[in-house]
Amino acid sequence: MELNAAIETRSLNKRFGGVVAADNVNFKVLSGELRCMIGPNGAGKSTLFAMLCGLESADSGQIFVFGQDVTRTQAFKRVRLGVGLTFQTNRAFHDLSVRENLTIPRASAKQENMEVGQARLAFALDAFGLDPNDQTKAGELPHNQLQWLEMAMILVGYPNLILLDEPTAGMAPEETQQTAKVLKHLNSTGLTTVVVEHDMAFVKDIAQTVTVLHQGQVFAEGSVAEITAHENVRKIYLGRA
Amino acid sequence: MKTIIGLISGGGDIGRTRVFWIGFGVIVLLFLLYPTQTSAFRVSNVSYYLLNIPLGLGMALLWGYCGVLSFGHVAYFGIAGYTYGVIAGNMTENPLGPLAGVAGGLLASAFIAGIFGYFVFYARVQKWIIPILTLVLTLLLETFLGQTAGYQWRIGSVLLGGYNGMTGIPWFQLGGFVFEGYSFYYLCLFVVLACYFSLRMLVNSNFGQVIVAIREDEVRTELLGYDIRARQWVVFVLSAMLAGLSGLLYVQWGNYITPSQVGLLQAALPVIWAAVGGTTSLLAVVISAFTLNWVTYTLSSQGNQYAMVIIGTLLVVTMLFFPRGIVVMVAERLGRLTTRRTAPSKP
Amino acid sequence: MDVMPLVLSLLYQFGTGAAFLFLAALGLVVILGMMNIINLAHGELMMIGAYTATLTYHAGVPFWLSVILSFFVAAAFGAVLELLIVRRFYGRQLGALVVTWGVSLVLGQGTLLFFGPFLPSIGIPGGSFSYGDFSFSAYWLILVLISLLLILGLWWLYNRTPYGLQAKATMQNADMARSLGVRTPLIYTLTFSLGAGLAGLSGALLAPTVTIAPFMGQQFVAPAFITVVVGGSANVIAGAVASSAILAAVKTPIGMAFGAFSGTVALLLAALIIIRIMPNGISASLQKYFNRRAGGAMR
Repeated sequence: MELNAAIETRSLNKRFGGVVAADNVNFKVLSGELRCMIGPNGAGKSTLFAMLCGLESADSGQIFVFGQDVTRTQAFKRVRLGVGLTFQTNRAFHDLSVRENLTIPRASAKQENMEVGQARLAFALDAFGLDPNDQTKAGELPHNQLQWLEMAMILVGYPNLILLDEPTAGMAPEETQQTAKVLKHLNSTGLTTVVVEHDMAFVKDIAQTVTVLHQGQVFAEGSVAEITAHENVRKIYLGRA
Repeated sequence: MKTIIGLISGGGDIGRTRVFWIGFGVIVLLFLLYPTQTSAFRVSNVSYYLLNIPLGLGMALLWGYCGVLSFGHVAYFGIAGYTYGVIAGNMTENPLGPLAGVAGGLLASAFIAGIFGYFVFYARVQKWIIPILTLVLTLLLETFLGQTAGYQWRIGSVLLGGYNGMTGIPWFQLGGFVFEGYSFYYLCLFVVLACYFSLRMLVNSNFGQVIVAIREDEVRTELLGYDIRARQWVVFVLSAMLAGLSGLLYVQWGNYITPSQVGLLQAALPVIWAAVGGTTSLLAVVISAFTLNWVTYTLSSQGNQYAMVIIGTLLVVTMLFFPRGIVVMVAERLGRLTTRRTAPSKP
Repeated sequence: MDVMPLVLSLLYQFGTGAAFLFLAALGLVVILGMMNIINLAHGELMMIGAYTATLTYHAGVPFWLSVILSFFVAAAFGAVLELLIVRRFYGRQLGALVVTWGVSLVLGQGTLLFFGPFLPSIGIPGGSFSYGDFSFSAYWLILVLISLLLILGLWWLYNRTPYGLQAKATMQNADMARSLGVRTPLIYTLTFSLGAGLAGLSGALLAPTVTIAPFMGQQFVAPAFITVVVGGSANVIAGAVASSAILAAVKTPIGMAFGAFSGTVALLLAALIIIRIMPNGISASLQKYFNRRAGGAMR
């Protein structure tokens, strides 16, 4: 595995009024990594995701995607560099059919991703039990399938990096396990994955490295074992759970 | 051919059954035969109801499918009409003049809409700003055209004419064949059918699915890799050209145009057709545009002063009680009745 | 020629231009800011104010009393409108736009049918005086003063009264406000009614300067909406004040040099350029700027 960064931020700052959402964040995920990000509510996880994919602009600092400076790049252009994102609250198109949800995403123009991308998509659809020709309205799917649908949608674009904001929120334990299985498999094909998660069992199951955000800062970073043993992390986060 | 049929009968509009298409065919046949059964005066009136339909279709595409509301699409109607008047009016000796006028009119609409659209879509303004600014644009256009009375407001040999408007605008002609009376009626019918089928194909294409996705959730669509600003801009320009098409047919029909065509009252009409029909269906807007033009034209030609009060009330009532449109809701009711009849085994 | 009269005249033109824009946009701004609804019947509410003032004035009521009466007539009208129609459209911004447009058509046409094509006008009260080569209308100077008083009054209303506190709470989080015992439907009705009343007041104040006709509202539509668009919805009162000033600064010289119509076109162009740079209006940009400054100071 090459040791180049899939995504990297340098001294990223962002505030909303008096609230500091990102305070000098230096965050780096290597290509092929499966990273989990944890932190209490309001730690700045979702804002960091929004800045990474271009929905929020940073007050200062830089963002690199696959070595390219995208700090001032429009969101859709970042997606075309191979970034996919799912939202904390499900944002599949609820009034459109499953089929439309899966035909609307833009297939990547990069031919080199196509074969592996198609294989990833096929695997996910199969593992999630989603039929790409299903005419049911997405809004009528059960919650877990709706979550999975949004994950499948971003795989249609053959991304090289996916950012998932609480993908297993509201899922039953066996559905969470299934999600973990799929994410681990996708990662084994080289898909860089960053997951924001609250469920520590899930994090322990999938993560190689864990980043802890707290009050807009990278508070700690390390292996699952290191993080769970980290006294201050236990204080701010794990102890409260 | 198969893909064309597939695109036409895709899920982007109401009416996909065999019964529907038979009914559709019968109605088109009736329209084709209509001139043989009635007076030239009535044919001319029906031409007027037909020629407004592209404007309504443009509203449906922009508002219903793309989620962008314009209150000033009559501006593009007027721009195309006036441009045609100027070009064709200056080329009366040349049989290609009207064709050049049509091309010029459509280009002018597209050009102004393109500039305006660039500012609003590429700034990613909030949703309410676009209808407001489009309305302001058309009001300014009306004010401008209203003060063009007098000989100094002359382009070539054509006078803009101030509040009295531009008169003597030539008929449309192709290769020496002049479209007036009955032939103009068939021209309108052809344009309406062509617009309807093209748009039905467009909304069922991938492009159409993406604009619906933009309507549903702009941010999600952008994060699937689409430049939503460009898509909205394209749809805006396209719908402005549809409005322009209606404007062209209008000046060819009446041979005149006045600034009140781009005024506040006219500006409300396409919005009303779209709302009453149901913005999410092209066919529903075709039906309501035709019917409402018929009603208003009949009322106002009888000197009924209540026409605009009635139309305005209809809009308020529709928005309050039939938010998805009267035609669409009736069609759904009918659809439910027929499916119940064909599948009675269902509980 | 003296420079002083020229400077004063320019200032006067600018001040009256800004006052006109501010008055035209006032009711719209209050409703947008507190309820996130664009009231397209705004022009017709101004017309109702102007009609009330004109009819009562010609019936013998003193001018200033008839202006105050127009506030209450338009406010009552606004309350009815809110209760019957607008209330069903909260959270549906485009739907509210369309339905209020329907209302505006009915009101305009209805007035035409009921009162005929125009009413006798009110002469401009107060006369004028001249200084150097320029003449100044006392009434317009009073309008500038009234605009300033209205700004202060609104500030007081929203920052110093129980209504203002509850309205701000409702605007920020209606559910929370409701659970704390604020009667949010009442707040909405009052706010819409206040916006309508202010539109009526502006219509009455501007009545002596324009022709009184059923569609007189239309002439306020373009300037009012441009002012609101440029101001933005982040802090509407501050936005409206700032944008009236900026737009008057654009309109005054162009209008003086090339005529009133060019001035209005310049307004639209200025608005397009300003929103291209500041998509959420001046008030949002100002807020962002102050946030950053505050952030820098804290660091």
